Amino acid sequence: MTEKELIIGLCNKDETAFRELVRLFQDKVYNTALGLLQQDNDAEDIAQEVFIQVYRSIQSFKENSSLSTWIYRITITKSLDHLRKKKRKKRFGLVKHLFGENNEPLIDQADFNHPGILRERKEDAQILFGLVNGLPKNQRTAFLLNKVEELSYREIASILNTTEQAVDSLLQRAKQNLRKKINKFPR
Amino acid sequence: MRNKADNRSDHILTGLDGLHKAAAPDFFYTRLIARMQKESLSEKRAFFIFSPAFITVSLFILFVLNIVSISRFDKRPEMNDTLHIEKPATIETFAEAYELMSASVYE
Repeated sequence: MTEKELIIGLCNKDETAFRELVRLFQDKVYNTALGLLQQDNDAEDIAQEVFIQVYRSIQSFKENSSLSTWIYRITITKSLDHLRKKKRKKRFGLVKHLFGENNEPLIDQADFNHPGILRERKEDAQILFGLVNGLPKNQRTAFLLNKVEELSYREIASILNTTEQAVDSLLQRAKQNLRKKINKFPR
Repeated sequence: MRNKADNRSDHILTGLDGLHKAAAPDFFYTRLIARMQKESLSEKRAFFIFSPAFITVSLFILFVLNIVSISRFDKRPEMNDTLHIEKPATIETFAEAYELMSASVYE
């Protein structure tokens, strides 16, 4: 099935086309969401939401970019929104905690282990994933798309709606910031 | 000359090299379809509340209840009127009702 046929099928709410779409993109969407959210259940939840949104709003897809780019954009937006909501909830939880209403400990998701990590690099990857969370939104997204999804500068530029030079600069700055954070990180 | 700290940061920065992509969990599609069906069902329920048929029936029931309560309320003043005629409300009747007629508080 070509991309054009897939889009036509989705516009006609064809179940076969939708099944094919999920088969083609489920791993990409899940892996991207997992990199950003660092939580299996949240990543699955967001991946489901992405496909629901694609199914509902395929008519609004303008075909200025590829279907893959559009789906990546939705995944990133949904994942970052989810993180923002989670942060807000956590802040509210902290207030509740201060006033003694909630005794649950507020621990960050710092010990994330990506299932695809090499055993001998587990510790380094864990530190890196923890530090990536402290990067600005754009740097974090570009870095994870490059390292976790192994996308080229061109693909990242298309997803982030920017130029390849800008992506290169984002990645350089991300690495610089990470280097600083690593040096401050206790051994 | 590169120091130990630089080597360490370089080593950690390559921590994600050779990473295998994570695959979506098993039965992802089945769970997705189940969620979509559940959501569309709840949307249908929400939509039913705003449907013209539901609104018309609700307004009709409200109208009937209004008519019934108004017709019952209209009958009440007549009963009150007879009570007024039998015993008009005065300070004496009020005092009698609350037993304030006695001269001493020790009674």
